[in-house]
Amino acid sequence: MTDFDGLFRTAGVTGFLHAVDLDTGAEIAHGADQAVVTASVFKVALLVEFFRQADRGALDPSERVRIVADGHTPGPTGVSAMADDVTISLRDLAYLMIAVSDNTAADTLIGRVGLTAVNTMLASFGLAGTWLEHDCAGLFASIVEDAGQEDMPTDPAVVARLRVLDPARTNRSTPRETTRLLGMIWRDEAASPESCAWMRRLLGLQVWPHRLASGFPYDDVAVSGKTGTLPTLRNEAGVVEYPDGSRYAVAVFTRSYGTAQNQPRADAVIGTAARVAVERLRS
Amino acid sequence: MDLVKHLRYFTVVAEELHFGNAAVRLGMAQPPLSQRIRRLEDELGVRLFDRSNRRVRLTAAGQALLPEAQEIVARVERLRALAGRGEGGEGAVLRVGVPPDLGSAVIAALIDGFREADRGVRLAPAEMWSTDQVAGLAAGTLDVGVVRHPVAAADLSFGPVLVQRPGVVLTESDPLAERPSVHLADLAGRRLVLFPGEPGLQEETLAECRRHGFVPEEVHEAQTLGLVIAGTAIAFGPRVELPGLRWRPLLGEPLAWRVSTAWRGEAGPAAEVFGAVAVRVLKENAGMTDDGAAPVRRVRTRPATGFLA
Repeated sequence: MTDFDGLFRTAGVTGFLHAVDLDTGAEIAHGADQAVVTASVFKVALLVEFFRQADRGALDPSERVRIVADGHTPGPTGVSAMADDVTISLRDLAYLMIAVSDNTAADTLIGRVGLTAVNTMLASFGLAGTWLEHDCAGLFASIVEDAGQEDMPTDPAVVARLRVLDPARTNRSTPRETTRLLGMIWRDEAASPESCAWMRRLLGLQVWPHRLASGFPYDDVAVSGKTGTLPTLRNEAGVVEYPDGSRYAVAVFTRSYGTAQNQPRADAVIGTAARVAVERLRS
Repeated sequence: MDLVKHLRYFTVVAEELHFGNAAVRLGMAQPPLSQRIRRLEDELGVRLFDRSNRRVRLTAAGQALLPEAQEIVARVERLRALAGRGEGGEGAVLRVGVPPDLGSAVIAALIDGFREADRGVRLAPAEMWSTDQVAGLAAGTLDVGVVRHPVAAADLSFGPVLVQRPGVVLTESDPLAERPSVHLADLAGRRLVLFPGEPGLQEETLAECRRHGFVPEEVHEAQTLGLVIAGTAIAFGPRVELPGLRWRPLLGEPLAWRVSTAWRGEAGPAAEVFGAVAVRVLKENAGMTDDGAAPVRRVRTRPATGFLA
């Protein structure tokens, strides 16, 4: 057996992982049914419901919307970081939400799609452990209320009381349910084949290289994914595709003991653990 | 099997009707919780939960047994509370964790100080690194810890933060041992021994070393100073007097290790007494000072580590 505990421990984190071969169903599980805080990984579920509504004709993905600058949700990337009003199509917002985790893009889509609709979809897929409690603005407000400041806290006493780090009180899932949702996207089961292809393309445009992708430094291997970050939390879930056609959905959720924002080892262990799991599935 | 503990797991799962949520409340992982519920079901010879079709529900037998189980758990808790109130104090124990590198003299002073302050409760100290202490606090196997910052976990509270200024420990044959004090940059080219089980402290210490021009050739995780005595590495820590070793202060005191007591939820009276004793002993016997003395580090956020990245 692989010592995932040892691996995570060396990086100063506790970790939960699920990896599954999308074609054979073979799996590697390490705390795969643990309730975990998704952080931004929840944006994948939102992406799916967005494209399902597009499939039904309930929204037009190419419709342009105007986002005024003072209506932004806080965030370090994309529209959230921009100074001026933006006019942009809904599906390009979906791109920003996935590729750079843009919070304003996500909240604008939630405004169209509805959190309830996403939760209803998740329930209809049988993903009973996956639930969206709030949008990015709600999540931010909860942190500000608990921490008394707008910067992400590093003080251990403040971090310990953040409700958004408690899976029972925030957007949550399990590693196994996260890979199931990704598997549905990769097998054209989550929405129409065209929409699933679009979602795969967006997830393949993930810009952060330091987590899942860092574990697969091979030019002929494709890594698609969505990160998730909150104080002490580092997650990524995605799909790894090998040149022989085999594909693996992997979800890794970690929580660090230390509160420093920059912990390169904690980021890297997501890739290392994913590679260990995938290599075991391939051997 | 510890029947009372298993009954407590049963009551929590019955309240949550969700193994994941129950595991979070109990501060444990879900698989061992499921396993213990199954063991309890085997022990009692009945199924307590219906886990089919993705929803957890109490079976008829589970419903019948739940009030009894709650009663037993509540009575045992009352019993423990009465015992812990310390009339005569028989059996009342405060389980505390302390960092192994604190040294026997400091640990002895902690025990002595606590004995004087609270005669009703016996102190049971265990030497553990911070990650193990946090796991122990979460699992309820530890009442109070003395942890190194930054270390975080849900529902953890901290006492006043103290600062320890470590020096460097070298083999006596190291040329730097001749000097009265050592600058971090002087250590270039050497290997470094750091404590295992202190990931937050490790990150901070390595960042501070890099900032002052010391990039260790290699970092070893070790509990003892064996590698230092053998002359293959250096370590940071409080003053030590051991044959073959020299301790030297670091010029400018660049390292500030922060230490505090920690507990989960509400601190009991014995834990509060221990907290006060620990602060006094760590200041008087371990040379620690109030946190105000340490410079506050401003966090410069980067996109990849920012809110919901």
